[in-house]
Amino acid sequence: MTFLHMGKYAQYVWPAYGIVLAVFLLNVLWAQRLLGRARREARRRLAMQGETP
Amino acid sequence: MAWTWFHRLGSPPYIYGLAARLTPWFAWSAGLILIAALFAGLVLAPPDYQQGEGYRIIFIHAPCGWMSTMVYSTMAVSAAVGLIWRIKVAHAVAASCATLGASFTAATLATGMLWGKPMWGTYWEWDPRLTFELVLLFLYLGYMGLRASFEDVQRADRASAFLAIVGVIDVPLIHYSVIWWNSLHQAPSVMKLGKPTMPPEMLVPLLMMFLGFTLFFVAVLLTRLRGEVLRRERTASWIREAVLQ
Repeated sequence: MTFLHMGKYAQYVWPAYGIVLAVFLLNVLWAQRLLGRARREARRRLAMQGETP
Repeated sequence: MAWTWFHRLGSPPYIYGLAARLTPWFAWSAGLILIAALFAGLVLAPPDYQQGEGYRIIFIHAPCGWMSTMVYSTMAVSAAVGLIWRIKVAHAVAASCATLGASFTAATLATGMLWGKPMWGTYWEWDPRLTFELVLLFLYLGYMGLRASFEDVQRADRASAFLAIVGVIDVPLIHYSVIWWNSLHQAPSVMKLGKPTMPPEMLVPLLMMFLGFTLFFVAVLLTRLRGEVLRRERTASWIREAVLQ
């Protein structure tokens, strides 16, 4: 409990760590989505050209 | 001969394959180092004699600040390389940096505000360091907005490259603002000439965080770069093998 309390600064420390964790997760998600979308688009294009990826 | 590796980096299929191979190494090492740094920073490092436990925000705030300027510098250098030598992959690197840099700049401002409130008594002050950091966020957003306003990728590359290069002036302003002007923000304690002013038990977790954040940046950049290269090279013949992998 003392650890979670962070002295009297828990209301500042934990939200700060939460924001950075969210930024990490969002960046991973955005990067995966960008790559996934580009791959799907490339597959769709190849399929339209008659090739079957 | 010595420059062969450099020329190969300009080849989209080569960089796509290289990025795919390197990403897991950077991602896993970033994850492991960040977990160790979190434990060292939150549990092992002693409280500060003045700020108590509240100073622990430094272990994420300073690396976020490092990311904001380092990613912008990478973006500006890549944009300049793309503009001068007309290397498409360099423009793709610059474009891949923007979202990452903008999000970490926003995190720098947010964590700084959360640290500022208990220490300075205010969330925000129009202090030179804070103001230039806010300008950096606007530069990132401007860069992203400018890119999005063009249908043609090559025109977007050229226009946004100029903005990235001009905006890089903000990076030294952020770094030296605490030295050149009277500032509420503390002076550099790690990135300065000479010896860092932090004790090792605080400095080591902080340096581990810097390393973990940087490795994370490379891992995400390489993933974004693969998507960006695929999007730009959609009509190229090598795409078939790349998609089938």
